[in-house]
Amino acid sequence: MPVFLCVGLSHKQVPIAVRERLAVPSDDLPGRLARLRTLSGVREAMLLSTCNRIEVFAVVDARTAADDVLRDLGALAAQHAQIRFEEEALLHLFRVTASLDSMVVGEAQIQGQVKEAHALAQEAGACGAALGRVISGALSAAKRVRTETAVARGAVSISSVAVQMAHKVLGDLAGRAALLIGAGEMAQLAARELRSSGASELLVANRSGTAAEALAAEVGGIAVGLGELPALLERADVVLCSTAAQQPVVTRELVARAIKARRYRPLFLIDLAVPRNVDPAANELENVYVYDLDDLERVAAQNRELREQEVERAEAIVREEVAAYARAKQERAAVPVLARLRAHAQALADAEVERTLAVLGPLSERQQKSLRSMAGAIVNKLLHGPTARLRGEQGGPLADAAAELFGIQDPPDPAPVPPEQGPRSTSSEPEASDRAPRAEHGGGADVLPLTGRK
Amino acid sequence: MATVLVHIALLAYAAAAATYLGWLVKPRDRLVSLGRGLLLIGLVLHVASFVAAVSLSHGEGLARAGFGSDAWKGGQLFSILAAATVAGYLALDVRYRLPVAGAFVAPVTVAVMVPAHLVHSGTRAIAPELTHSTALAVHVFSAAAGTAALALAFALSLLYLASEKQLKSKHPGRLFARLPSLELIDRVGWHLSVWGFVFLSVAIATGSFVSREASGSAFPIAPKQGFAVLAWALLAGLIQARLVAGWRGRRLALLVVAGFLLLVGTYAGLLAAPQRSSAAAAALLYLGRS
Repeated sequence: MPVFLCVGLSHKQVPIAVRERLAVPSDDLPGRLARLRTLSGVREAMLLSTCNRIEVFAVVDARTAADDVLRDLGALAAQHAQIRFEEEALLHLFRVTASLDSMVVGEAQIQGQVKEAHALAQEAGACGAALGRVISGALSAAKRVRTETAVARGAVSISSVAVQMAHKVLGDLAGRAALLIGAGEMAQLAARELRSSGASELLVANRSGTAAEALAAEVGGIAVGLGELPALLERADVVLCSTAAQQPVVTRELVARAIKARRYRPLFLIDLAVPRNVDPAANELENVYVYDLDDLERVAAQNRELREQEVERAEAIVREEVAAYARAKQERAAVPVLARLRAHAQALADAEVERTLAVLGPLSERQQKSLRSMAGAIVNKLLHGPTARLRGEQGGPLADAAAELFGIQDPPDPAPVPPEQGPRSTSSEPEASDRAPRAEHGGGADVLPLTGRK
Repeated sequence: MATVLVHIALLAYAAAAATYLGWLVKPRDRLVSLGRGLLLIGLVLHVASFVAAVSLSHGEGLARAGFGSDAWKGGQLFSILAAATVAGYLALDVRYRLPVAGAFVAPVTVAVMVPAHLVHSGTRAIAPELTHSTALAVHVFSAAAGTAALALAFALSLLYLASEKQLKSKHPGRLFARLPSLELIDRVGWHLSVWGFVFLSVAIATGSFVSREASGSAFPIAPKQGFAVLAWALLAGLIQARLVAGWRGRRLALLVVAGFLLLVGTYAGLLAAPQRSSAAAAALLYLGRS
């Protein structure tokens, strides 16, 4: 019986000191995936390695394969790793993809990382149709979560909150000038965010001209002298301060003069320094907005709280999607069993008709036709009840039972083939129901993770 | 026919108001689309009711002012203003996407329309000299358009003041994420103020012309005329301050609020005036908004 499996660990189990020792460099991923595929009982596998988690998602023949996967992760990982099977594993994958298991709930990167891990597994020939369908379901759930809830809305890091607030004051930042005073690390981060938000001009001022030039080169800005500060305040719409000065560099008087010269165009000052570089009293001036570290942190905390409030709704969507995925699997499972059952019965009837015809000797064409019709009618009448029940139940345990009872299990999805050995197996591969039904017995177990057989 | 259309329009406006308020609680994009659609449906039906009034009725009706009407009612005045404001909002929304303003406009429209159509208001006569006056029709149209523009500017100014307060206090409220940027509110409010000023100027000019035609006096002395001129002067000052001294933001928002309140005074003066002879009643329309 095929099983969907997840073996791995995340920031919830281990600190970064452990995770950094377990992280798999991207160059090593193809090798690791190939190794996973060679493990006994592993049909398909995908390795998700990010800074917050190292997890293997796999379709395996039996639960015992989890031990091999765990050993493959290494001794250190084995001490902390968590093993999940079937529905639990599926729910975990959907939650991870929807960013509900992330360190910062709602962060957008994880979806791209899941897509990338899946693509890599496909390239390495480790991932086939079954895992492809699961990933597709997880990505679809994640999309719903992002569009239907506010779980991903609102900035939560200091630098992104600074840019968010700048947007709130100034609107579109395209074509705006930003002034960077000092070279603090957080200011650099915020400067990069401003640049990616469209700020066209980054002016970098520092006490040391060399440092200003170096930073300007790093963030793609222009080095300017600190002595030009009054003129720079007239020119820039966003000012980022992060110097080590013990006294305010930007005073209320300086800003008051600048705002008048700017004809009251709004000025947004972000003070990331401790002690503060911008006189807080400047915030009292009309069209001037001063945000220091505490202010930004307060907004970030509020955004985090809003995201948390949306988590419950997001979890409900994920549960809905997991249930929908399970139903779809069951529906897929019912059709092939019915087709195989009918083909099996029809083949038996045909064989019996041929044997009877041989015993009876020469018969007229009309008599032969009558005999075949009678055999077909018996098959139809016998299968009418089971067909109705299987359709009504949409597969599930009854489909498994029917397949087991009549010995009509189908072969597994074609195993993923490494690129050098032939065409790669993908999620667009035909469903089992598209394949011709088989009348004969046999075939191995299916690779369906939830409801068993197709 | 016209009454039925107005009542259906009112239902659509009420549904739009509920949808926009729902969006404030739960910011789903589809609620915005639904609210916009309902407002549009309401407006189409509302305008259709005016067309029906003009083409079918042969008696009273502000929608027929200048087209043969000899009387109007206070309720009709608010109905026209509501329709003009909704039309202005929808035009604004196409360009700037401002659902938060919709959450203000839709409920206010309902609040204005309900008494306008469900509460009986007395009939006021229009001077016989004006029943077919083009100037009166232009006056009514420009006054309605100017009031709508200034009503929207007023809504945006309140929004600006609330948003600015949150940004200054550094304690964003629950609705903060739904608010547009200060820059956008300021820019749109400014454009609306200018349009409001232009229409108001036309309304006053045509009102004066019609007044002279009906009563011989271009500027009859009455509270509403005083309020209208004060509103016009304040808006002129606002435009001057913006263009010459660069005023914007909070100062401009406060001036718009003051200007709109003066305009409200004009309407209050118009409706509070006692019933008079037909010529005097017509004069009420001239400088006040119709």
